[in-house]
Amino acid sequence: MTSLRVAVDIGGTFTDICILDEDTGLIRVAKTASTPDPIDGFMTGLREGDVVLADVALLSHGTTVATNALITRRLPRGAMVSTEGFRDVIEIRRANKEDLWDTYKDVARPYIPRRDRLTVKERVDAAGKIVTPLDEAGAREVARILRKRNVAAVAVCFMNSFTNATNEQRMKAILEEELPGVAITASSDVMPEIFEHERFSTTVVNAILAPVVGTYCERLGERLREGGYKRDLLLLHSGGGVMTTKGARQFAARLAGSGIAAGAIASRYIASQCGFPNSIGLDMGGTSCDVSLAWEGKSRVTKDWYIEFGYPIRFPSIEVLTIGAGGGSLAWIDEGGSLRNGPQSAGANPGPACYGRGNTVPTNSDANVVLGRLGKGLAGGSITLDADKARDAVQTGVADKLGMELHEAAEAIVRVANANMADAVRLISISRGYDPRDFALVAFGGAGALHGFALARELSIPVVIVPPNPGVTSALGCLLVDVQHDLSESYIQSVATADVAAIEARFAALETEAWERMRHEGVDDDQVVMERTVDMMYQGQWRSMAVPVGSPIGSLDAVVLAFHDLHQREYNFRRDGAPVDLYRLNLRAVGMVPKAALAEHATGGARPEPLEHRPVWFDAPAAFDTPVYWRPDLPAGAVFDGPAIVEQLDSTVVVPPGARATVDRYLNIVMRMEG
Amino acid sequence: MATQREGFALDPVTFEVLKNAFITTVDQMGEQVLRTCYSFVIYNRDFSSALNDVNGDSIAQGNYDIAVHVGTLHYTCKDVIRYFGDDMHPGDVFAINDPYAGGTHFPDVRLIRPVFVDGKPIAYAQSNGHWSDVGGSVPGSFDVAARDMFREGIRITPIRLWDKGVFRRDVADMIASNTRDPASIIGDMLSQAEATRVAERELLRLVGKYGKETVVAGFADVQDYVERAMRQRLLALPDGVWETQDFIDRDPAGGEGMIPVKVKMTKTGDRVIYDFTGSHPCIGSLYNSAFGSTFSAVAAGMKTFFPDLPLNSGFYRPIEVIAPEDTVVNARWPVAVTGFLMPFEKIMNSIYEIWSKIIPERAIACAFNLEYLLTGGRDLRSPAKPIFMFYDWLPGGWGGRNGRDGCNVTTACFGTGLQSQPVEGQERGSPILTTEYQILTDSPGPGKWRGGAGVRKASVLRQADKTVISYICDRERAIVWGIQGGLPSMPHGLSLTRSGSDTVEWLGSAFSDVALREGDNFSRPTGGGGGFGDPLERDPIAVREDVADDYVSLERARKDYGVVLKVIDIDLAEYEVDVEATTAERARIRALRREWLAEEPETVAQKFRAGELDALDLVRHYAVILDWETGKLLPNSTAQFREMHAKRASAYWAD
Repeated sequence: MTSLRVAVDIGGTFTDICILDEDTGLIRVAKTASTPDPIDGFMTGLREGDVVLADVALLSHGTTVATNALITRRLPRGAMVSTEGFRDVIEIRRANKEDLWDTYKDVARPYIPRRDRLTVKERVDAAGKIVTPLDEAGAREVARILRKRNVAAVAVCFMNSFTNATNEQRMKAILEEELPGVAITASSDVMPEIFEHERFSTTVVNAILAPVVGTYCERLGERLREGGYKRDLLLLHSGGGVMTTKGARQFAARLAGSGIAAGAIASRYIASQCGFPNSIGLDMGGTSCDVSLAWEGKSRVTKDWYIEFGYPIRFPSIEVLTIGAGGGSLAWIDEGGSLRNGPQSAGANPGPACYGRGNTVPTNSDANVVLGRLGKGLAGGSITLDADKARDAVQTGVADKLGMELHEAAEAIVRVANANMADAVRLISISRGYDPRDFALVAFGGAGALHGFALARELSIPVVIVPPNPGVTSALGCLLVDVQHDLSESYIQSVATADVAAIEARFAALETEAWERMRHEGVDDDQVVMERTVDMMYQGQWRSMAVPVGSPIGSLDAVVLAFHDLHQREYNFRRDGAPVDLYRLNLRAVGMVPKAALAEHATGGARPEPLEHRPVWFDAPAAFDTPVYWRPDLPAGAVFDGPAIVEQLDSTVVVPPGARATVDRYLNIVMRMEG
Repeated sequence: MATQREGFALDPVTFEVLKNAFITTVDQMGEQVLRTCYSFVIYNRDFSSALNDVNGDSIAQGNYDIAVHVGTLHYTCKDVIRYFGDDMHPGDVFAINDPYAGGTHFPDVRLIRPVFVDGKPIAYAQSNGHWSDVGGSVPGSFDVAARDMFREGIRITPIRLWDKGVFRRDVADMIASNTRDPASIIGDMLSQAEATRVAERELLRLVGKYGKETVVAGFADVQDYVERAMRQRLLALPDGVWETQDFIDRDPAGGEGMIPVKVKMTKTGDRVIYDFTGSHPCIGSLYNSAFGSTFSAVAAGMKTFFPDLPLNSGFYRPIEVIAPEDTVVNARWPVAVTGFLMPFEKIMNSIYEIWSKIIPERAIACAFNLEYLLTGGRDLRSPAKPIFMFYDWLPGGWGGRNGRDGCNVTTACFGTGLQSQPVEGQERGSPILTTEYQILTDSPGPGKWRGGAGVRKASVLRQADKTVISYICDRERAIVWGIQGGLPSMPHGLSLTRSGSDTVEWLGSAFSDVALREGDNFSRPTGGGGGFGDPLERDPIAVREDVADDYVSLERARKDYGVVLKVIDIDLAEYEVDVEATTAERARIRALRREWLAEEPETVAQKFRAGELDALDLVRHYAVILDWETGKLLPNSTAQFREMHAKRASAYWAD
């Protein structure tokens, strides 16, 4: 019997399957269209990948079900119960707008409408003292109304509950008693941290997603069991780890952003495999491009994120910057006469002009067709590319208007797209104190490998890696993760007055909670690793930075020194004498999932004959006669110099003149600038 | 390379790449400031960043800059250049906050670093942040009683803060020592100076890659590009002359009557002239604007109607501003100007009104008035009795729009990036317990498309001593107005309930240094936005939904919209429109509403004092303005308010 590890990554357009045979380490992939009920696509994908569920040792899953439920507002009726006078915290938000100037671009409506936000008399002050005890009769009255309204989920959000949860927990208990079967979520359970909007918003998202995620897990679990799967289903969360379905029901909001994390994890893994602990991931698809960064083998994590602006989800999430630059991004001339690229996109339908489905505005893909970088078809010929239509679009849309020659115009389109992506990479790297020259760029997604090398050159990144299956790299990310829980709590104290024993006790309490969660998920104790960090800042500052600390912490002096160093690295200045504050304690608990090794291929295979030679334009008026290789033909160890094009089912790799490409033993193409 | 294009020095690709690189550079400055700042005002996003060329003109401003700084950063850069001339060196950083040289107000301090290539500056990087305090007579440096700048804070004319890379501690400490929070002030200097260094690094990278000539040509090209786009947009719009006026509530040093800010806009081809002639002379409070802020209000108001155009000096070139000296829109030294935001937002809203007629698809009624509350004293929660400062600002409702209701609870129009503060943070920092912070039912100005909802926040002072409260707001009389038949929202103003008392004292929208004692409760609303279109034409179903969500009360659904609802089940928030009764009620209001507006104001005031009418009835249906504390009629203010109400509301009603 074979033993398989299977990852299923469901995106908006495609469902990607990645299957790893534990015995051989070989990977095979499948891709199928996503379906209105994502579970249908899931099962179809398994069938197309010839997966026998009874043979599957581990099934992990990246899903957009939570994200989509939020965006489309296809949510169960949820309610919120808060302190009297604070019904509107989640509608008031921080009151700011995402688009500062466009008065017709609105912030999304709250996930729970005002009528379903009820209040009860109670109050706790900043020091944790109960100023007003919970009005039990009022609490029962709220429960009566909510029962009558037949709500599926309730978020209990009381002021200052992070300092004293007594009232909030009592309210939760009353609701649980009065509303059996309804998911009740208290803010002090989800995120015991200061700042009401951020805590309430996270709690509300968690509460209303609980029934969505619960139902989904149940339905999917049933189909999988019917198919013969006997193990736990693992769900990828935004923090870059997985949870079992038990954990997912409790921390449903962590599934929001699940899909985006997968690509970042895969890119980090692939770079590490090639010996690069520092990497930048470039996941470029049809409409957008996701940029992520890993430093010393770890993905950058942020707590400042949201699915819709104004509604923060404060669970840690892998930091990903998304910009509107994809294969389908439109190139256009604005009224000031400038050549623009995106963010509008022709999407998958009608798609670029070369798809021949009616769009005549040039896109990045059209420019790549004109330049000869894309050939006659995509996805193994299932999409035919019409070069005449691409040329017409570039000629009339850009070349004629700017008085350029056709190929010059196409080159211009690509250069602007690359420059926009380079700006995004700068924001996530240079402005965080990282030097791109210390990184490798992992280029994937359908279009990443077309632009990767040029982008790297723009940023002085010395190495570009294109994984074997660029189009399904995210699914690979789902295969490579561990069970992970992130816990935190506010701890606001000056270093000068902080008591190490008290901090140690708080960490111990967080660890107890983390052990409980890990056991609940069935992780063996000896597989669990705990990592502590403390958020710190100079006294008087408002943003903190996470500083890793040991267990036990030992002396705070070393921690403070580490903080000064980190501040220096990220912000280029330090105030060695200035007082430092502690702000928050964080604990990451990781339940290691045993990894299967990917197959290594013997190097030394001969370079194959190219499929063809075709003219390809690179920064020059004349085309290069360029060999085109079929990627499955390229053996490990093959070395070739640009110009070259490598075609494969789900992507096209551009190796420009001056670059040298090597196929490594994992079949990654690794490109470097020669000379 | 591409052929040379008319109006561009650079080829289209290099141009587009540099244009975006300049904007990214400025955004990186913003990011750095946000992550390292000390002032909580900056942290809540009251800051901006710019690249300026050798003439001081703006090359690029940030995507997240606060509106109120727009159109002032080139003035301060020019003043630094004027003052220091050739006496600049690599590593120098200058500072300025001078409103009389084009700045906004004293708390907005700009740090400016020249970027040198081959021994000469090619550009300046500027970081502007609102410091938490710059001295003066009250914490936070907003003194309502100030008539001149000597009570407002330290005026920083151009100074050198870093000299060839060396921090001038003597100068820095002198400035910091004139504030209430010296340690944070030094921290913000470092934070902002470092942000300008980020920009320097990026510009030098671009110079290394593209060459100095290309980058400098790009500085000019991006300004020309925005100017060209702006002129093209203007050309496509009709020419004409538009006039309106808005008001500041009063002159504390003058008699009863609102203070007009008059705007006449003349658009000819690709040019616009804003003429403020006829605006009131400077008044005896801090509610005066120096020229820079007035220009900024014009630029920000116009940018609202061209939201996609990048901001730089090219945007300003087609605009001319005529503002007579020594008026509320062009105050000169040493007139107090820290409350410049009051005239600023009157200008902004006037521009909204004018442009709503020219670009109806972006039309928007008046937004609530921004407000600041400052309380400070000794915090008795800790034995050391440290000084505390509770400095608060609230969001409110924005105006109804063409085909859409106004936005609920949004930051004031002086900068929609500004964040409101978390109550839990405030309660930690100050001995204050907030008892209510929620949407205020019936605050939205009624309209076919109603205004957005404002809020009410009420707080109790706890263990504290030697505490005073000041409030900086407006539109207690010049109530937030509707357009195209829409109605006003409600008066701004703060109420105080003394500990143990049942009496509510109305302190109004501007006062300073009122003593507060433990147990006192202070409460203030923010207005909703003005309504757009006749409220009697609002879809009754929309009114029903507003009632279900408590944005509008049952009572005012009937009074303001003529919609009569039946309660089906209050537990389920279910209501039903009584169609017949609604038709009848709407007909009744139509028949009477013009008479209400003509009713003798004193009679209306009597009805208010007798409790027959409330403040919302007065401002919405009778257009009568009272002293809300005493119920005494304000005849001049009422006449001014009625004149504008007739133009904005009743003139548009079909019957």
